[in-house]
Amino acid sequence: MDCCGGTDEHEDDCTEVTVKEGIDAKTVEAAKALESENYSAGFSTEIETEYSPKGLSEDTIRFISAKKEEPEWLLEWRLAAYRRWLTMEEPTWAKVRYEPIDYQEYYYYAAPKSGAKYESIDDVPKEILETYEKLGIPLREAEVLLGVKGAAETAATAREAPRVAVDAVFDSVSVATTFRKELEKAGVIFMSISEAVREHPELVKKYLGSVVPQSDNYFATLNSAVFSDGTFVYVPKGVRCPMELSTYFRMNAENTGQFERTLIVCDEGAYVSYLEGCTAPMRDENQLHAAVVELVALDDAEIKYSTVQNWWPGDENGKGGIYNFVTKRGDCRGPRSKISWTQVETGSAVTWKYPSCILRGDDSVGEFYSIAVTNGRQQADTGTKMIHLGKRTKSRIISKGISAGKSDNTYRGLVSINKRAEKARNFTQCDSLLIGGRCGAHTVPYVENRRADAQLEHEATTTKLSEDQLFYARQRGLGEEQAVALLVNGFVREVLQELPMEFAVEAQKLLEVSLEGSVG
Amino acid sequence: MTTALRDLIANPNAAELELIARYGMLPEDARRERAFEAFAKGGLPHRRVEGWRWTDFKAALPVIETPADPGPSEDPLPTDGALVFSFTPTGFTWPEDLPEGIRVLAKPEAQAFGASEEMPLGALAAALAGGKTKPGTLMIEVTGQDLPRLHFRFSGAGEANFARVQIILRPGAKLAISESYLGGAGFTASLMEFSLQAGAEFSRTVYQRSGKTDVLAATAAVQLDEGADYRQTTLAFGSKLARLETRLTHQETGAKATLNAAYLCAAGHHADITTEVRHGAPSCGTRQLTKGAVLDGGRGVYQGKFFVPRNVGQKTDADMQHNALLLEEGAEVFAKPELEIYADDVECAHGNTSGALDANQMFYMRQRGIAEEEARALLTEAFIAEALEEAGELEDVLREQARAWLAR
Amino acid sequence: MLKIENLTATVGEAEEAKQIINGLTLEVPAGEVHAIMGPNGAGKSTLSYVLTGRSGYEVTGGSATLNGEDILEMEPEERAAKGMFLSFQYPVEIPGVPVMTFVRTAMNSQRKLRGEEEISAPDFIKKSREIAKQLKLDAEMLKRPVNVGFSGGEKKRLEIYQMMMLEPSFLILDETDSGLDIDALKTVAEGVNAMRSPDRGMLVITHYQRLLDYIKPDKVHVLSAGRIIKTGGPDLALRLEAEGYEGVLGEAV
Repeated sequence: MDCCGGTDEHEDDCTEVTVKEGIDAKTVEAAKALESENYSAGFSTEIETEYSPKGLSEDTIRFISAKKEEPEWLLEWRLAAYRRWLTMEEPTWAKVRYEPIDYQEYYYYAAPKSGAKYESIDDVPKEILETYEKLGIPLREAEVLLGVKGAAETAATAREAPRVAVDAVFDSVSVATTFRKELEKAGVIFMSISEAVREHPELVKKYLGSVVPQSDNYFATLNSAVFSDGTFVYVPKGVRCPMELSTYFRMNAENTGQFERTLIVCDEGAYVSYLEGCTAPMRDENQLHAAVVELVALDDAEIKYSTVQNWWPGDENGKGGIYNFVTKRGDCRGPRSKISWTQVETGSAVTWKYPSCILRGDDSVGEFYSIAVTNGRQQADTGTKMIHLGKRTKSRIISKGISAGKSDNTYRGLVSINKRAEKARNFTQCDSLLIGGRCGAHTVPYVENRRADAQLEHEATTTKLSEDQLFYARQRGLGEEQAVALLVNGFVREVLQELPMEFAVEAQKLLEVSLEGSVG
Repeated sequence: MTTALRDLIANPNAAELELIARYGMLPEDARRERAFEAFAKGGLPHRRVEGWRWTDFKAALPVIETPADPGPSEDPLPTDGALVFSFTPTGFTWPEDLPEGIRVLAKPEAQAFGASEEMPLGALAAALAGGKTKPGTLMIEVTGQDLPRLHFRFSGAGEANFARVQIILRPGAKLAISESYLGGAGFTASLMEFSLQAGAEFSRTVYQRSGKTDVLAATAAVQLDEGADYRQTTLAFGSKLARLETRLTHQETGAKATLNAAYLCAAGHHADITTEVRHGAPSCGTRQLTKGAVLDGGRGVYQGKFFVPRNVGQKTDADMQHNALLLEEGAEVFAKPELEIYADDVECAHGNTSGALDANQMFYMRQRGIAEEEARALLTEAFIAEALEEAGELEDVLREQARAWLAR
Repeated sequence: MLKIENLTATVGEAEEAKQIINGLTLEVPAGEVHAIMGPNGAGKSTLSYVLTGRSGYEVTGGSATLNGEDILEMEPEERAAKGMFLSFQYPVEIPGVPVMTFVRTAMNSQRKLRGEEEISAPDFIKKSREIAKQLKLDAEMLKRPVNVGFSGGEKKRLEIYQMMMLEPSFLILDETDSGLDIDALKTVAEGVNAMRSPDRGMLVITHYQRLLDYIKPDKVHVLSAGRIIKTGGPDLALRLEAEGYEGVLGEAV
């Protein structure tokens, strides 16, 4: 097949690499290879696991619900979602291609055998703790506290050892939540959503599905039916959450789908910064991740949600890797509320993700800062929706896409100004960087303006790394890889600086690792 | 009609049934059949089809009938010294005396339309243009350089007006054409195909102004060979639904395209400017500037796409800008400026703005003593005029039309 | 001529409004040139916008009159027709509108508001030529869109060109020296000095004393935190230059 000049550019079986003028032959060649060794989170943990019956049916859902000792209303809610899901079709509009998913080939529930609930951190199996340790996640309060105790309250020490409360999710269950007591003192509820269903049913019932309705989209509906665990956060009126909250998701068991559900509610005048990190071991099969995240910000509340996503992207031939089909949406329900999404997406074989803001409250603000890196055979279709409903609502979108290898990277976004959204403002900047001539970078913005006094601006550029800049840096003695890292860092700086400190460093490292081997 | 024909479109509305009936009455022709099937696959495009979400033909065209509002019949584009081709619902005419360097071929059978799948309404025009004795495709071959402008007019009362014109510019040929879409028929669909061979130069000006009840789809497919130069300027006032679509392919090295457009939509008027440019050869350039101004109850749609395929699209230089003014509350502007890029050695950019006039400019003008209304008119006209600058001898006419509309 | 009394004004909308002008009193009689100097953030530009009626600047108290007429209630173009001219610190670019068209429209709009005859095209062109020559402006420049693609110096010269064309009775020069090299500064100053006349007043807003070497003021006012805190002769500007704002402000407090 003449695939290099033919009509179907998506199909890519060309094995020969065309080296163009002006680009280092090695650069292109090396871009072909994505070494799996680069994925430092690719180990798996040997642990006995309890599964639900394989496949998806009402029985599976009853099984999950029973395992979690859920109330009747929640089981009914799940079943309603499941029945709805059966009538829906998988979306195909995104610029991603993957083998059809056989939903009966997955386990919808997997939990470390020793039980889903742990009385204290000491009951958590050693292997799990070791796993998180390897990932560099400060799960054990003790470890975190070592540097903090005594002098914990002085700002200087706090800066040296940032305190982060962690909820760790291992396959389908939350294994530990740290700093619980201290948060309770401030009135902040931070626990797994399964616990929250038992302990704060009124809050869960009030807000669950209020931002992402059960029937929102194919993957969200699936999640509503089978969601396993996730995190629940409630910050009461006027409280500024005293520390960063964080969840780490780890997909470990084979053939397992992960369907966590996160619900964060910030009451009037409250503030929380939440970090989410994800990893998964290397597996040949594709694993499915269909999460739902709902954020609710009431009057004057602010939620800052940061993600570093480093799911296993598959090997250089596109074998294995995570299908990341996630629905994330924030509702700026009250006036002057603010929701800010920051994401660094380096992993997953296929990403389908649009963290969005519904700007309902007058003067509310939505932000989306994104770095999406694709290499190897990765495909990412990600962006945001800013729905302006309230008066003087403002949104800002900064998206930086970097494509290398044979990957495809798409920004897809919607800015919608409702008739009532007096004096709404949006600024969007989408920049794409191509490294090597075998990848794709796409920008698909939809801009709907129904207000004459709105002010919308969108800018986008697509370029390759500047030869001049590369040469300049190398002339001053930087190695090529170092020069690329430097330039890429400059390219994404605007977004990196939106991340909390402790995440920014990690993200920067991750970028380097993700792009390793993309240049000669 | 036969059941087989009827089944061509799933859940047809009355308009689609009428289109099927019209097709059924035409002489059998394999190429016509292929074109019609390409249209029938999806029927009249509607909002659930990507690329048509803001311009829903199925909803706007429930039946095919003579419109209640005949619209303006005046054609403002000058025809002195131009060769006029006129298309009406009942047939078409063209000048008998043609200068050397232009040859017109009119055959009753349809010509193949390769890209019919991507342009359903272009395919429809290809399938329904002509009839038993009338030519299905009007083919024009151009070899000369100093030629009069060809003017194509689509007008006249009736139910539906379908037309198809193919123009081939042989190497080094030069031609300017203009098209006026004046409505009058309930539904007008045209397909214009332009093929520019090496070094050919072509300038196209499109003027669209039809009645509020008209539905119109003007589709153009353009192919550029080595070093060809294509310039297009559109001025659209919209109608119940007016879609002006251009699909252009740079198929050989060093071709240049300029695609400019301005739309001005008053209440009840919908104008859709859609373009897709495929950089299928290295070192081709595209410049695109679209400007719009919309009043209460009007809707402007802009969809632009640059597609740069792997390897062949290297050294593409493409820039797309869309700027719209919502002159009053109640106006709507929807835009989708899209980039799909598979080659790394490219410079592609797009920009999109929509909103009110710049407050700084307004204040500066008023500080110098210019009254608010006048400042607004001056700024709006200057804003729109930028998109008309490439229209050559017709620039002033278009600008005058825009000015008159703004002075309303 | 221009009389400002106890003026207070805010910048910004609703809850974000900030008071920038704090009881400012100032009088510039006809025929005089007054300089306003002050540190960054003192309210210099705000004053010029309040006097010319830019939206987003709200007068909350006090008064400002030009030849006894309250100007604060007027639209910007009415103030312009009354003779107020602001030479912008950052002249605005207006794509698509040629300088000549712009200035002629402005001139005729002002004349219309004043109930005067429009200027004839030959008269306008003649006048424009003379002034352009004086300011060493290229005729080609006047055909280009207003300020688009002009250098900093060209923009300022174009402001002076407009000023000389429109012949306002009261001039406000907002940081006219910023971004100018010494030759451009001289040309601009010559233009302004040519405008000095017994029936015209001028307010020269500047951060540095440099401009005042070329446009000699009759009085110098020091603006700080939205009020005039010191008034003196031309020597005050020299003192500010030598001692800095802190020295002079310290003494005033």
